[in-house]
Amino acid sequence: MTARTEGATAGGGVGFLRVPAGFRAALPVILFLLVGFAAPLLAVIGFSFMPARTFGFTGQPTLENYITIFESTSYISLLWSLGLALATVLILILISYPVAYGLVRVFGRWSTLVTLLFVIPLFVSENVRLYGWLLFLIKNGVLLGTLKTVFGIEAESMLFTTGAILLGMVYVYLPYMLFPLTLGISMVPNDAREAASDLGASRWQVFKEVELPLSMPGLVIGCLLTFVLAVGAIAEYKVLGGQQVIPITHDIEIAFTYAQNWPLGAALSVLLMLIVGVLVMIALRRFDLDKFLGRR
Amino acid sequence: METRGVRVRHALIVVWLLAMIIFVYIPSVCITLASLTSSRYFTFPIPKWGLDWWQKTLSSIEIHQILETSIMIAAVVTVIAVVLAFFGALAFARYDWKGRSIYQKLVLLPIFFPQSVLGLALLLWFNALGLQLSWQTAVFAHLVWIVPVVTLVIAIQVYSFDPALEEAAFDLGATRLQVLREVTIPVLMPGIFSGSLFAFLLSWGNFPLSLFTTGADTTVPEYLYAKMVAGYTPGVPVLGTIATIGAIVFLIGGYLVMLALNRRRSAA
Amino acid sequence: MAAGDGAILLLKGLTKIFAGHRAVDAIDLQIREGEMFTIVGPSGSGKTTLLRMLAGMETPTSGDIILRGQRINDIPANRRPTCMVFQSLALFPHKDVGDNIEFSLKIRGVPKAERKQRALELMRLLRLPDHYYDRAVTRISGGERQRVALARALAFDPEILFFDEPLSALDYKLRKTLEKELKDIHRETKKTFVYITHSLEEAMVMSDRIGVMRDGRLVQIGTPQEIYTEPNSKFVSEFVGDVNVLSVSVLPSGKLKAAQIPHEMVAPATMNGVKSAGFLVVRPEFLRFLDAPGDADNHVVGRLYNEYALGSRIQYQVRVGELVFVLEKLRHEAFAGGLDQEVLIGWDAVNTIVVPDR
Repeated sequence: MTARTEGATAGGGVGFLRVPAGFRAALPVILFLLVGFAAPLLAVIGFSFMPARTFGFTGQPTLENYITIFESTSYISLLWSLGLALATVLILILISYPVAYGLVRVFGRWSTLVTLLFVIPLFVSENVRLYGWLLFLIKNGVLLGTLKTVFGIEAESMLFTTGAILLGMVYVYLPYMLFPLTLGISMVPNDAREAASDLGASRWQVFKEVELPLSMPGLVIGCLLTFVLAVGAIAEYKVLGGQQVIPITHDIEIAFTYAQNWPLGAALSVLLMLIVGVLVMIALRRFDLDKFLGRR
Repeated sequence: METRGVRVRHALIVVWLLAMIIFVYIPSVCITLASLTSSRYFTFPIPKWGLDWWQKTLSSIEIHQILETSIMIAAVVTVIAVVLAFFGALAFARYDWKGRSIYQKLVLLPIFFPQSVLGLALLLWFNALGLQLSWQTAVFAHLVWIVPVVTLVIAIQVYSFDPALEEAAFDLGATRLQVLREVTIPVLMPGIFSGSLFAFLLSWGNFPLSLFTTGADTTVPEYLYAKMVAGYTPGVPVLGTIATIGAIVFLIGGYLVMLALNRRRSAA
Repeated sequence: MAAGDGAILLLKGLTKIFAGHRAVDAIDLQIREGEMFTIVGPSGSGKTTLLRMLAGMETPTSGDIILRGQRINDIPANRRPTCMVFQSLALFPHKDVGDNIEFSLKIRGVPKAERKQRALELMRLLRLPDHYYDRAVTRISGGERQRVALARALAFDPEILFFDEPLSALDYKLRKTLEKELKDIHRETKKTFVYITHSLEEAMVMSDRIGVMRDGRLVQIGTPQEIYTEPNSKFVSEFVGDVNVLSVSVLPSGKLKAAQIPHEMVAPATMNGVKSAGFLVVRPEFLRFLDAPGDADNHVVGRLYNEYALGSRIQYQVRVGELVFVLEKLRHEAFAGGLDQEVLIGWDAVNTIVVPDR
């Protein structure tokens, strides 16, 4: 890591060339993200203070949208979104840890192929894949149809239940947990593991004392990423959940589309952004990205 | 140490892996099966197999239009994202500069952000700017999310890049541009290449950003969603299968190109 | 010595095969209670594999490891009463100095107060200041990390301590200091130390006995003195450091003949069983500049090519045709002549040995 340098900034350059090379290289991305990310967010925040059902920034600033939210049932949607996201994260930790561990320790030269197998679905639109689950779970679908014709069992479809939503989210966000976790586990030096064992630690003690704390950065990133994505999920609820559970994202979408109440939608978005933003800030505050990504 | 306990544990992990791979591919298999029925409604086991719906879908002008839009958006996104992200990755991992740590977090933020909310925020923003929504605004929206992802992908390669290589080239008399062309870009090529694959495929499959920003133009995921919500038609599984196969073909093609590049490099 | 007589560790035909390659090849060895035994060999000689089998991190393909009369082949590392200091040290980066040292005590469920007391005792033994107890291991120097690793292993109170080249990453001066400190600790604790290194120089300083390893086999075992003065092969003699090794044939008269040297040479008493062809070993300190051919048993005329200052000594390179000789003098006895001058050098047979080509 000591290899990073200031870069060749000297050389008698004038004007722009005197700016550090790193900043020069970063400038396009910074400008783009200011226009494409920061500005829209500011616009949303601004809009959330506009009078209800207006479509410009000309109105008198007001808190009425926030008051509306607290008087409405949107908090139920928010709790559902947060609760199911939390459940998704917990399930993902349990099901991806063995695979991540295997990718680092067990599969050896097969690891590349296994990684590829888990990457491919990332590139197929999530609603297409969720639709596949719909076909699997639906009455007379692949699962129930097989059960009926092969085993003669008539079962209830689990489609349009909370369980189906959870299944969809676990499915869609699996790679976002798996890969950071793999990176985290690969950060545990084999020596440290062996040293702990040599000093008398049992398999469980090695895990608790050495593997878990040293792979923590990967676990934190994985949890954060999947939680944030799951809080923002919408397709899972629509395709697999029917109208069983209404997530906060649905409320936002309704406000923007059918209700044509952009300021209310903006205020709901701000609320969600606050929750997500605070979480990300806390988790990433003391995080050494260089160490995490730079390791080979 | 290869004791019996270790072997049993490893065997369990492999069994678990196989179960997970099946889990991951169940939907794709279901969609492919559903596309191969000739009846109007999907029931399993499939009563009558056939390619009728493939024929109908492939000959539809509307579908051609949608595929074209999706490919065009993905292609433009790829080119712009890779150029921006290449320099962005150098700033991320190669240079030590004062604002780097803040910059790194700025780059990460859009990734750690609910995409549907981002899509709505952009819709609002475009509206505030008075822009007409079209495939161009969708390109912009995709870039907000894809540029950071590609920056990270390339940055991982940049971390293993030895800056002494650039210094040596300078020292041997190369100009800044020559260093870039002769040393930096070729050495970082694998990262740039996988970055482009990511850019293309993530744009190709994106739904939440497209939904709010394409206006009158329609991408494949949007079209599929509209049809899904409207009620069942076997055209959905067909187009879904096409999208999946397209992604796999693209990925395998990319992998082969990468292999060929590596081989040429090691042969030279 | 009868089996078990004073031996803490006994190896019988110990072998490890990796993908058809015999990394460790039928090693028989006895390690005595309380000794410091060093295994020396170039990289790839199998010494690390051997040590990892002893520590329980690698399973032998065949052969036995017997600790105090009990076969321990199948006992995993965490249940062996032995402990290793790793080449990388393998300090736990997320624990501070104290928690690293106390690790094995925590594993055994020793109460915190008692653990801390023991850790502080060890820190004092290893000259680490008390206030380092709460310091992060990532924020101490290389030498200090070394001491923490040793303290951590000692806290385990092992029957045998294994060392896998722990000093190899340090700079020369620090390494020299720690070599001596380690020997002092060995004296203090009276434990059995098994050390591996690629540096015979390091082994010489510290060890009671040395085993030289090559291609998975132990080619010579002896005290540092024996290894230095009586190497039993060309390999061992060259491993000791700068040395003159001359390919020779034994004449019927008992004298020696080398291709590039015109006259026959007086043979030493130690021939290591060489009957026809072997190598004559002359250490640089036993080669000297002569005034006349008769001043030594053997002589040769050459050209002074270069000289190198080695601190207290000076080394000279003398070329005789294709042959290169090195000889060393103490600084205050430096040779007066200039470079490219013709010189007469020679040695006495008693200071040399002949070894076979092994």
